[in-house]
Amino acid sequence: MSTPNAGTGAIVADQLVKTFNGTVQAVRGVSFAVRPGEIYGFLGPNGAGKTTTVSMLTAGLEATSGNASVDGIDVRRDPSAVKRRIGIVFQESTADNDLTGRENLELAAALYGVGRSEARKRVDDLLERMQIGDAADRLTKTYSGGMRRRLELAGGIVHSPRVLFLDEPTLGLDPQGRAGFWKYVLELRHEHELTVFVTTHYLDEADGMCDRIAIIDHGRIVATGTPSELKDHLGGDIVTVRPTASSPNLAEILEQVPGVTSVGQQDGTFRLKCANGEALVPAVVAACVRAGVGLQGVSLKRPSLDEVFLEFTGREFREDEGPTATDRAVRVGQVRSAFGGRR
Amino acid sequence: MIRETVALTRRELLRLARNPQAIATSLLLPILYLLLFGQAFNFGNLFDGNSAAFVPFVRGAPNYFSYFAAGMAGFVAVTATLFIGANVIFDRLFGVLKRISSTPASSTSIFGARLIAGCIQPIGLAFLVLGLAAALGHLGLSGLQVTATFGVVAAVQVVLAIVILSVMFASLFLAIGFSIEQPQTYFAVVNAINLPVLLTSAALYPWGILPAWFKGVASYNPITLAVEVIRLDLFSAAPQYYPYSAWVYLLGLLGWAVAMNLIAALLARRALGPRH
Repeated sequence: MSTPNAGTGAIVADQLVKTFNGTVQAVRGVSFAVRPGEIYGFLGPNGAGKTTTVSMLTAGLEATSGNASVDGIDVRRDPSAVKRRIGIVFQESTADNDLTGRENLELAAALYGVGRSEARKRVDDLLERMQIGDAADRLTKTYSGGMRRRLELAGGIVHSPRVLFLDEPTLGLDPQGRAGFWKYVLELRHEHELTVFVTTHYLDEADGMCDRIAIIDHGRIVATGTPSELKDHLGGDIVTVRPTASSPNLAEILEQVPGVTSVGQQDGTFRLKCANGEALVPAVVAACVRAGVGLQGVSLKRPSLDEVFLEFTGREFREDEGPTATDRAVRVGQVRSAFGGRR
Repeated sequence: MIRETVALTRRELLRLARNPQAIATSLLLPILYLLLFGQAFNFGNLFDGNSAAFVPFVRGAPNYFSYFAAGMAGFVAVTATLFIGANVIFDRLFGVLKRISSTPASSTSIFGARLIAGCIQPIGLAFLVLGLAAALGHLGLSGLQVTATFGVVAAVQVVLAIVILSVMFASLFLAIGFSIEQPQTYFAVVNAINLPVLLTSAALYPWGILPAWFKGVASYNPITLAVEVIRLDLFSAAPQYYPYSAWVYLLGLLGWAVAMNLIAALLARRALGPRH
């Protein structure tokens, strides 16, 4: 991957490295450039380095080496200027439970230096737009999960940032809540030409909302491109063959089937790439029968980001590795319960 | 910076105002001390009712209750700051501190707002103790007797003593709050500091009965320094029992407060800056 030049994008990461305690390499030389006005998705399994990268880009974490700039400002040299230009929506709720929705937004506006009268106008506008106007003067501890997420989004944009970072913004929301959240993001992006950098666990979100995507695994970017480009990279449909018993020659047999462009193998399962999966399935079954290989199942998948993810990382897109965002959210929930839901 | 500090201070005060149980609980301690401990623990009775003989032991105060009431003002100014650092830890646990430190607000504003808001309650309580202690005397109970001419200078000195003492201990507990991640650890550390500091001060003990070594330790205790300013200003006979003027004690107290404030501000800056 070529190293991006500073100034070529709203967000530029150049060989970013983060090593914790001198031993744990969370991010290992990540480079990319996000264009102004773009929605850029950052995908990866848990522990891949997504949140660490976001923290470095938003001046919350010092990079071990490498450079980053946001809206043309060097993050290391002028973190305060970067913070003024960006908005962040964290994966966990960061609103103060003992304040109302309105007070939370007014506080956020003041911390970004927005004048009182301007802040009042923006807060009123955002509360209405996010459909929490009726609950504006209620304590946020009474808000539903969806309302809290919308309040978080409002807090991230109350100062009209140039770049918006969304770190797992829809984690824990139901499909309706996720759709509503993204509706507001797309509206804001359209109106304010926001650049949006989003990490998400929901591949369908990334597929539908992002202009471009980077896949990060073990601290390295393994693929970048538009969702279409990444799916095209798969070279068509995927046919998965699961034999009843291990068969040492099966890969060679399957390679001989007309139409198969490549054969991959993982945990005894064979993944065949082909242009037309529907037409290939009968030929694959016939080839196995001829070779005396029993079949547990054969399945066909159209190209999706799940397949792209599997292709580049060699793993299913799972949430069962490492300390996860979900783990953290659960821990926060446990702490809340331990203290009776109050601070 | 001022806008951010004002906004954050407002946040702290709103949260305090919305927690009446905490305010009520903080009032309970000084009221019980004045109504029970102060009334029952009358050292003057040991002198066969000759309270004048007891005056040297309480360094010029007209009686033990008056001496004790001045000490209690310092005592509550400290105990009311105990939880200020815990709020930092809870804000960190619940993500609020992460949100605040992701904004351009400086660590000085974030720390300063907590300090300002955190000192309001202890200062208010300290004056409430003095007022209540004086009022008790009019209700047929032992009460605080002000025997000195209490002028503007004395009032300023008393206010300064309570404010500086509150700032010093609020800084100390904020420093601990910014350095520790778990609430359990915080409370353990605070308890380990709080009790020895209170018990090595001259807030409650009659000075005259203290052993020499204890007096040496207590002389440098910031609570002692603050309550000695109050006693010097409230009791006309007090100056003959104190080697220095109230300003000197205030200066010593200020030294403590500045040192503690600098340490706390440094730790806050480290905690709120980019992680390494």
